[in-house]
Amino acid sequence: MNKISIIAVCLGALVFSACSDIKRTPGKAYMPDMQFSRAVETYSDPRELQAEGINYNARPVAGTISRSADVIYQHLADTTGRYITSSSLRNPLPYLDTLQTVEAERLYLINCGICHGTKLDGNGPLYKGGDGPYAAKPATLVGDPLYEAMSEGTMFYSITYGRNLMGSYATHLTPKQRWEVVHYIKAKQREAKGEATPATAPADATAPATDSTATAAK
Amino acid sequence: MIAYRSIVKKIILSVLLLTVVCFDKQVLAQDGKALFQQNCASCHAVGKDLTGPKLAGIEERVPDKKLLYAWIRNNQAVLATGNKYFTDLYNQWNKTAMNLFPNLTDEEIAAMITYVNTEAAKATAKPAPGDTSAATQAQQSDNSLLFGILTLILAIIVLVLMQVNSNLKRLSDEKDGIPSYEPVPFYRNKAYIALFAVILFIVGGYYTIQGAIGLGRSKDYQPEQPIYYSHKVHAGTNQINCLYCHGGAQEGKHANIPSLNTCMNCHMAINEYAGEKLYREDGTEVNGTEEIQKLYSYTGWDPDQKKYVNEPKPIEWVKIHNLPDHVYFNHAQHVNAGKVACQTCHGEVQEMGEVYQFTDLSMGWCVNCHRETKVQFTDNKFYSIYEKFHNDLKNGSMDSVTVESIGGTECQKCHY
Repeated sequence: MNKISIIAVCLGALVFSACSDIKRTPGKAYMPDMQFSRAVETYSDPRELQAEGINYNARPVAGTISRSADVIYQHLADTTGRYITSSSLRNPLPYLDTLQTVEAERLYLINCGICHGTKLDGNGPLYKGGDGPYAAKPATLVGDPLYEAMSEGTMFYSITYGRNLMGSYATHLTPKQRWEVVHYIKAKQREAKGEATPATAPADATAPATDSTATAAK
Repeated sequence: MIAYRSIVKKIILSVLLLTVVCFDKQVLAQDGKALFQQNCASCHAVGKDLTGPKLAGIEERVPDKKLLYAWIRNNQAVLATGNKYFTDLYNQWNKTAMNLFPNLTDEEIAAMITYVNTEAAKATAKPAPGDTSAATQAQQSDNSLLFGILTLILAIIVLVLMQVNSNLKRLSDEKDGIPSYEPVPFYRNKAYIALFAVILFIVGGYYTIQGAIGLGRSKDYQPEQPIYYSHKVHAGTNQINCLYCHGGAQEGKHANIPSLNTCMNCHMAINEYAGEKLYREDGTEVNGTEEIQKLYSYTGWDPDQKKYVNEPKPIEWVKIHNLPDHVYFNHAQHVNAGKVACQTCHGEVQEMGEVYQFTDLSMGWCVNCHRETKVQFTDNKFYSIYEKFHNDLKNGSMDSVTVESIGGTECQKCHY
């Protein structure tokens, strides 16, 4: 009888150990010195460096800017509110061709579409006509005169620094991508109003003031 | 003739007037909801402070209807008159200027306020959502224990029956006069020992090999994270694109864990969870609103004051997918050039409450995929230099190009 009880206990232990199928630990590594990097990798813990006496600060050196980010620093003080001084800024990129439009649309759908809607009607899946979790109505980019009159520069600054409840998208989109998205929104607004996209590039301030983006900027 | 003309004129005019009046009525009845969403909802909600204060109970706070209407149309003019309530309100909300709405008619404003009042009444009348689905969740996980106990009982019965059988045999042998040997206990019975050794060898060998193969692999690894972040809610229900948070996947080697400002893009406004109930893997219920509060404690955001008041600290998420140091893997190559969907390697993350490792990330798995996957060769700039393959595809001597045929199984692609 004694042996039977030993067998029973063993079997019971096996059953119990096989019970939970949630794996909360990663398991054992074969040759951990080849598995885990000794060099500092992207998600290395900076405290380990500090413990070894290495000074590490994740912030960029004060005063340095990214090579592509120069345009943001034209109106350095204009980082909150309505971005009035930046409204004079013009989109430095030429109008988008078909391929670039596809790319700009992709960027818009990833980053903006969840709130502002795939049709730019301010009714994305997060708002869902007031039924979604997002309580504030996102801006109606096409169909609201307020946003159709908004200048490209103000749009760019709104994307860069955020506006009202919208956060900054500086970490999501490079300045070039932000200008592309601004181009895309403006093109959609023109399309809805039945205007054609001007053929010439609006590249600099000497461009004729008759094109539609210039009038929108005022 | 002239008399006719005047009658016709009158009729036309009255018809016009009627349509205008009707249309106006329609505007009035045409839900205040639409007007509210068009004009107010980007800054105000009924029961929640957003960019501006919540609007529930607005008529109690501003009983003077004329003043309220004047404020809604042109708040700057009201501020200029030095009204105390509105000046205080303006200062309290960090002097955020409200937009001007000079074109709203009295009826439109009334319709919107009626909408606000009905919504506010609805919100107070709504009872707390009952919990019904909790019981069903708990029942499912206990089956394996039940089966284990059943197996155990059956095993004991088999052993007892075997004992009884041998005893009965001995008794019948004694009766028949066949001399019975002293019974050999089963642990000294050679047949039993041999059988046991073979079984031990097979089972032990199986587990040893499986364990050895599993070293360094962590399929199904599902750690508990510092915040219960549900991909099911974010990427599933709310349809947020993977690349919204993990934009690094198209830029470089790492897909990146989003920084806290990405969370706050939405969670500045979304401070409570009201969707369907959430459960951890062990069946305990998750309070979504509390988890959002945890995010606020990390970012230092004060939802009452609507600004960052405390020093932020990073969330130490537990990394799930780890490749050994001697393997090079680049997300951008797979996402941009390869056009591989995230779900191919990570599973249906948009269905996961807690994320687990979907594949074992073994070398066999990598190589197998490289052998089988057909490269999207046409309309893909990245592969435009493979002239021979393009020609072969064109004249039909090759029907598809796999990753292997462009060097995807060379050692040096991943190990260097």
